[in-house]
Amino acid sequence: MTLVKEAPARPAKKRSAAPVAGRRGRRRENLAGYLFMSPWIAGFLLLTAGPMIASLYYAFTSYNLFTPPRWVGLDNFTTMFQDPRWQKSVEVTLKYVVVATPLKLLLALGVALLLAQKRRGQALYRAAFYMPSLIGASVSVGFVWRALFSDDAVVDRTQKIFGLDVGGWIGNPDYVLYSLVALSIWQFGAPMVIFLAGLKQVPQELYEAAEMDGAGPLRRFWNITLPMISPVLFFNVLLESIHAFQVFGSAYVVSDTRCGPADATLVYTCYLYQKGFKEAQMGFASAMAWTLVIAVALVTAVLFWSQKKWVHYEEAAK
Amino acid sequence: MGTSRNVERRTILKAAGATAATLGLAATTGCGGGDGTSADGTVTIRYAWWGGEPRTIAIKKTIALFEKKYPKIKIKPEFTDYEAFWEKFQTQASGGNPPDVFQNAVGFLRKYDKRGVLMDLKAQADAGNLSLENFRNGVLANGQVDGKQIGIPVGANTMSLVIDLKAFKNAGVEAKFGWTWDEYFAALQKIQDKLKIAGDTGYFSIMYLYDLYLRQNGKAFFTDSDLGFTEDDVTQWWTDGYKRVKSGLVADPKKIEQVKPKSGLSAGLAASEFTWDNFSIRYQGEGESDYGLAPIPTTDGKDTGQYLGSLMLSAFSGTKHPKEVAQFIDFMVHDPEVGKIMGYDRGILSTTEQYDAFKPTDPNNKGVSAYEDEVAKAGVLGKITPHPSGADVIEAAFLRIGGEVAQGKTKPADAAKALFSEAKAAFAG
Repeated sequence: MTLVKEAPARPAKKRSAAPVAGRRGRRRENLAGYLFMSPWIAGFLLLTAGPMIASLYYAFTSYNLFTPPRWVGLDNFTTMFQDPRWQKSVEVTLKYVVVATPLKLLLALGVALLLAQKRRGQALYRAAFYMPSLIGASVSVGFVWRALFSDDAVVDRTQKIFGLDVGGWIGNPDYVLYSLVALSIWQFGAPMVIFLAGLKQVPQELYEAAEMDGAGPLRRFWNITLPMISPVLFFNVLLESIHAFQVFGSAYVVSDTRCGPADATLVYTCYLYQKGFKEAQMGFASAMAWTLVIAVALVTAVLFWSQKKWVHYEEAAK
Repeated sequence: MGTSRNVERRTILKAAGATAATLGLAATTGCGGGDGTSADGTVTIRYAWWGGEPRTIAIKKTIALFEKKYPKIKIKPEFTDYEAFWEKFQTQASGGNPPDVFQNAVGFLRKYDKRGVLMDLKAQADAGNLSLENFRNGVLANGQVDGKQIGIPVGANTMSLVIDLKAFKNAGVEAKFGWTWDEYFAALQKIQDKLKIAGDTGYFSIMYLYDLYLRQNGKAFFTDSDLGFTEDDVTQWWTDGYKRVKSGLVADPKKIEQVKPKSGLSAGLAASEFTWDNFSIRYQGEGESDYGLAPIPTTDGKDTGQYLGSLMLSAFSGTKHPKEVAQFIDFMVHDPEVGKIMGYDRGILSTTEQYDAFKPTDPNNKGVSAYEDEVAKAGVLGKITPHPSGADVIEAAFLRIGGEVAQGKTKPADAAKALFSEAKAAFAG
């Protein structure tokens, strides 16, 4: 702890004591630092920043990859807003975000609450619940999902026992999106771990005091746990919604690359991919990408604005 | 503390230097051999195709044969499935780095000719590196656009009807040459009544079948630069199709969707399916019944609208080794041994040398051969009609929108409107 506190003060003092040698040393140190970072800096500039700026330009052009981009102003955006498939993709994505994110966080919080209690085999349980998140994003799990939710497969047969015969989810435009939601919820490990860390930080004396005042478990959760972990909850809501907006792999694999049937799993990024890489309408695809960036930024801004109302930071309380 | 810091710094600098050196090295190796010529004059050309496992195994054998005959030319194979192939190809071609030789199809000729990717192989033929002789039934024309020879057909295929022979027999129905659509659907009705399975897997989403139907009625799917039918035409086509889904004559699209990549026919969901005849070989391996090729239903009792299509080999216009590429294509389409190895996987072999060399022995290949002979004999084969740039995108849209109609998610009239609006964008692209 002390080391960390001292560190920022040191350079200021040294500068006056040994100006020449110090500066040269620092420069060499900086040089080495930049050298070390250079692969990442180069990577960022060439593979992230460069293409982003280029795509901002392409968003205002008609560009089929072969002939040079032609400036079309806002055409891509006006076409896009009128495009029924684009509207469909927005609808599908919003549905996915609104359904998958809260359910996933609820499950993550619920399991975290259980795992926060001390009992034998705690580490094992934690590992077991985190496991799906390690493999969940892989293509192979997408295939497994496709098999699980198909006609006459595990889920379908289980449903039939309860008299809920829908004949498989994968081929049914009304259900298939929920198989993706299930896949997302199943990977609740990352927010769970963050919740767990948050729960550990809640001072035990608060619970003890509340208990003495006669507060029941629900009351303690509502009045102590929830406010105390609200920064963590905020972080998870933010991260998971942004994540959900960008869903691609599961939709692409589970729908056998077509994001169907009948565009039922046409999530935003999937339509973007089809426009860009199947139909080579790179201008349109870039416009779509930037619209998504702006939409996600807006959602983030709203969340940040809302945190004044419901997120409690300990510092503020002191 | 001081010394240890120095050591660190030195190590850091060394490490950084080493990294830079490796990067530099990587860069140089990356550049070396960029034009595919090595010091001893050996030339490397890239050859890409799409297709299933059997095709890949066969092609690799033919490559080995070629490399033996031309020891100075090395072939670097690249292969994947159909959709991934064209996505990858588009990206590579736009970056000026497509394969030197690649499998091609009619729907992509104009698109990539317009973008300047395809080599006119006439010049190489004139130079004597590639023979344009001995092609059967005029299929060489399939690779011609505006007087240029931009594709060399490796085979000839035609749209066909594949039927579940057992189901047809058990229901007591027969597929006859020159039968009409009414007779075809009546047969399917009998199958549905007797065997409780659907008759067809979803005919109305297949662009190439609708093309045949239009050709039977004096139209075609495409003109040189546009769609060759009206919104009303396709609205009617899809309205009829959806009616047949509702009545169970056509299999439930939800079930068809879920057996993918298996076909609905081999999964036993329906008794017949329209597809290219050379694909019919897959059913025997996938399904449990016996499958056979049957005639395409007609409108007037005679004309099926069929024509010979082709898979072909094309070359990149910017290849560094046009001569070697031409020699390779020449070998692949004319060498009798190659014909024996490939069989009818990419359609009936297109040149007489290969056609004569391969005598089908298994029932599948025999069936394909007999089918095309029969179709040719009936004298119904027409000329192939144009596939303008954008045809590939429209084929995918036709399949997708037809699927929406089948699922009851889009009304046929709205579907037709959507198809026309997407087609407009595709032609413009």
